[in-house]
Amino acid sequence: MKVLLSWLRDYVDIPSSVDGLAERFEMLGLGVEGLDRFADDAVFDLELPANRGDLMSLVGVAREVAASLRGSVRSPIAAAGGVPRLDAPTAGEAAQGVSPVSGPASVEVHDPELCPRYTATMVLDVTVGPSPQWMAHRLDASGIRSINSVVDVTNYVMLELGQPLHAFDYDRLGGRRVIVRRAHDGERLVTLDGIERDLSPQTLVIADSVRAVGVAGVIGGADSEIGSATSRVLLEAAAFAPASIRRTSKRLGVRTESSARFERGIDIAGVPAAAARAAGLLREVAGGRVLPDVVDVYPHPVPPRTLDLRWTRVARLLGVDIPMSDGEVILVSLGFTVARTDGVLRVGVPSHRRDVEREEDLIEDVARHYGYEHIPEAMPVERTATGTRAPVLVTEEAARSALIRAGLTEVLTVSITDPESLDVLRLPAAHPWRQAVRLKNPLVGEQTQMRTTLLPGLLETARTNISRRVHDVQVFELGRVFLPRDGRVAEPRRLGILMTGSITDGTWNSPAESLAVTFYHLKGVAEALVAELRVAGAVFDAGQAPWLHPGRAAVLRVAGDSIGLLGELHPDIAVAFDVPAATYVAEFDLDRLLAESTLAPQYRPLPRYPAVRRDLAVVVDEQIPAQAVADAIAGAGRPLLESVELFDVYTGAQIPIGRRSLAYALTFRSPDRTLSAGDVDVVIAAIRAALERDLQAQVRD
Amino acid sequence: MDAHLDLEKLGREAEGAIAATKEPEDLERIRRHYLGRRGVLAGLTARLPQIDAPERPEYGQRLNALRDRLIQAIDDKEASLRLRATSTRLDAEKIDVTLPGRRRRLGRRHILGRTLQEVQDIFLGMGFEIVEGPEVESEEFNFERLNMPRDHPARDAQDSFYITDDLLLRTQSTAVDARIMIGRPPPMRVLTTGRCYRRDASDPTHMPIFHQVDGFMVGERITMADLKGVLAAFARQFFGPATATKFVPSYFPFTEPSAETLVSFRGTWMELGGCGMFHPRVLEVAGLDPERYSAFAFGWGVERPAMVRYGIPDLRLFWENDLRFLGQF
Repeated sequence: MKVLLSWLRDYVDIPSSVDGLAERFEMLGLGVEGLDRFADDAVFDLELPANRGDLMSLVGVAREVAASLRGSVRSPIAAAGGVPRLDAPTAGEAAQGVSPVSGPASVEVHDPELCPRYTATMVLDVTVGPSPQWMAHRLDASGIRSINSVVDVTNYVMLELGQPLHAFDYDRLGGRRVIVRRAHDGERLVTLDGIERDLSPQTLVIADSVRAVGVAGVIGGADSEIGSATSRVLLEAAAFAPASIRRTSKRLGVRTESSARFERGIDIAGVPAAAARAAGLLREVAGGRVLPDVVDVYPHPVPPRTLDLRWTRVARLLGVDIPMSDGEVILVSLGFTVARTDGVLRVGVPSHRRDVEREEDLIEDVARHYGYEHIPEAMPVERTATGTRAPVLVTEEAARSALIRAGLTEVLTVSITDPESLDVLRLPAAHPWRQAVRLKNPLVGEQTQMRTTLLPGLLETARTNISRRVHDVQVFELGRVFLPRDGRVAEPRRLGILMTGSITDGTWNSPAESLAVTFYHLKGVAEALVAELRVAGAVFDAGQAPWLHPGRAAVLRVAGDSIGLLGELHPDIAVAFDVPAATYVAEFDLDRLLAESTLAPQYRPLPRYPAVRRDLAVVVDEQIPAQAVADAIAGAGRPLLESVELFDVYTGAQIPIGRRSLAYALTFRSPDRTLSAGDVDVVIAAIRAALERDLQAQVRD
Repeated sequence: MDAHLDLEKLGREAEGAIAATKEPEDLERIRRHYLGRRGVLAGLTARLPQIDAPERPEYGQRLNALRDRLIQAIDDKEASLRLRATSTRLDAEKIDVTLPGRRRRLGRRHILGRTLQEVQDIFLGMGFEIVEGPEVESEEFNFERLNMPRDHPARDAQDSFYITDDLLLRTQSTAVDARIMIGRPPPMRVLTTGRCYRRDASDPTHMPIFHQVDGFMVGERITMADLKGVLAAFARQFFGPATATKFVPSYFPFTEPSAETLVSFRGTWMELGGCGMFHPRVLEVAGLDPERYSAFAFGWGVERPAMVRYGIPDLRLFWENDLRFLGQF
């Protein structure tokens, strides 16, 4: 809200400079978002708290400033010589929500819940013309265009007191009546901005006997607008239910100075005073004659609120002892009434402070005006506790660390995605990843759903980097995906990996092809990960996925369950996505991986006796997976065989067509003695026999 | 006398040969020639009995002395030849140390992840429990339990992505606070970090996705002074020991009193985030008696402090994952 300094000075004496006042505003919690300085004046643009409708007025801001100086405000109402005589409705009339015509206006409020108070003041014989210069200037400095003397008065009083007002051309109101009701189904209204709007039965309107003439509290209608020919004005000052105004304003997409105030809540007790202030100004600037009989439909007056403030609670909550008398002064200068009894302040809340509902609200006001800067910095006196991390965060960190040590860089990709990103993966229509959690109100056209896989984000990362000539992309992401589950949303953790380009940087004289990432580099990362997490029984098998090269895809199984797929990106996707054919991707069920991990390692004795190494070349049918050969060797070599390490794979001369040679380095060791050649020969013979029997292998050692 | 003179001559001759030697093989040959089993000195020793008896002892001594001299000379020469050979070989093995090193590629954390970790570690050190919560939340936890009923104006600042009428992407990780507080006996000190979502169009300072840190502490004696102390301690640890903090009044529906934390960083005040004492209604809905317990809470986005600290001009860089960007941190 814009605050013109010279105008503010009408209501409060401000001894400080512009900068001093800006600082004062900040320390009171009124953020200074903008500050325009002029030779002898300034305009502050204040950011006001959402719960303080009362601050959306010069007088409200003046009250805060006055209280911070422990002073008081000059009310414009008092300055205008008091409020003209108001005729309160009789109790019977009030209960029916209907006021009789007293003077020429008739007002009916059909929905007192949405319109708890409505006043109508008649001003006759006005001359609509330009406003006086001082008024136009003040409006202009506050960001409101001057229109004519009548409209300007309503805006002026709104800025001054925070009460939105509306002036109707009385002679354009059908039946010379005002009816406050909900809109009819299908009712339409052309509003002041010239737009024809569809109203709904949730919309509260101001109507005459024929049609709606304004959207209550939000925007007036074009038909009953004040024009140069207007001579009789019906001045509306009312209170509307904040929630209803907010909903209507949202639905219509119209936010006005008026709706902004009503949705925060206005001072319902101050409505007649604002009406009287406006009527007085109209008389002054538009030469009107104010009828003394003001209609005031206020069937259920809001009782004043009284709160007890136990002074011990102030120190208990703030951690500082503030003298009770200081608190008293602060509250009184903010407009509260205070009666002091034995450690408790009995506080009367002024009607404009709708936000003050509990003791804590009073404590906040005391704290603000005492100054947050005077609250000391302390450390909590509580039972000492050790900091802890949720176990899943600990295991996740272990996984992250293993991947980073494997040379991969962590990335973060957005979790709101585009359904087409799944088309890129060539997913069939029935694939579970197609069952995405959809957003009801997406922000960007195509970003309509939550990710079900990390792969599209990783592919996008690769594409972005490669398009910028960063070709070596070896990245991973640990993140959640979102899956619908029984009307709720499951958020499983996944690990995604993408590797392409060359495996290391800063090399020379090394043939590029020897450095290129291959399937086995990706598998090596996966192996290192399961080894670091000590996942027992992890096995890699040939696998299948629509996004992977059919001959270069593997599945990682733990205890027989698939927990993820890895492999070379399908060549068609690589082409479509503009990434190299040698792009390798993996996605794993991280929850499962973490659940299977064992982070507390156990010591195993270091070997005391020397090992014996033997090499073994095994020629087998090409179709037999290397894993089967290694398994057979390991099975037959127990317990002296310590490790089986593949060091050569060969097809070609001297090997029959359709077969290949796999060469292994075998390490044998006994925990309790030095093995003799004879010991090892026996085991080798057993291995050889097993290979020949089970895999029809030829074995050479 | 002749024999003596002969020995002297022989010695000089041998020493000359040793000194002139350039290759270890030649030296070996010389050694064999003079000192070998059938070498020159061995021959002279064999002829010792033919020397006249009175002269024999002295001659024998001279012969031994000559042998020692030659052994020493050959050993010295050998050492010097070995030294030269090594130094020649090392010379030949010289490489250009200014050629680039062969580096292993080092993996690294994403800078935001690392920043979150750093924040977690600081609070871990102050005894906080680090937890996580769901990113998809219900209205109840994201808003209602935080004293933001429907139509609350404060919801305007948190335009949300809805999945159903009730489920939405959390707009603040304070939702996790509301979850954690239920059914736990105080004292509690809890910190959570994670992704949050608001319907803000992307620009250099906004993204619909961002990361938040959110913490709270509940106890029988927790005060706003403690809040100031804990956040000031955090700021000094995170931004540097000389960092000053300032607390100015603010408004959040779930805290009363509420404050904004500002941190001095490189000569300006940077807004860190909101904080305050949990509103008694928030404690009540969590089943905690506000007469007995009080709580402070705080929360802020992580992107902005990271941007300020590292001088990153555009929020979107965090999400592009350009490896040249990620590699800088």
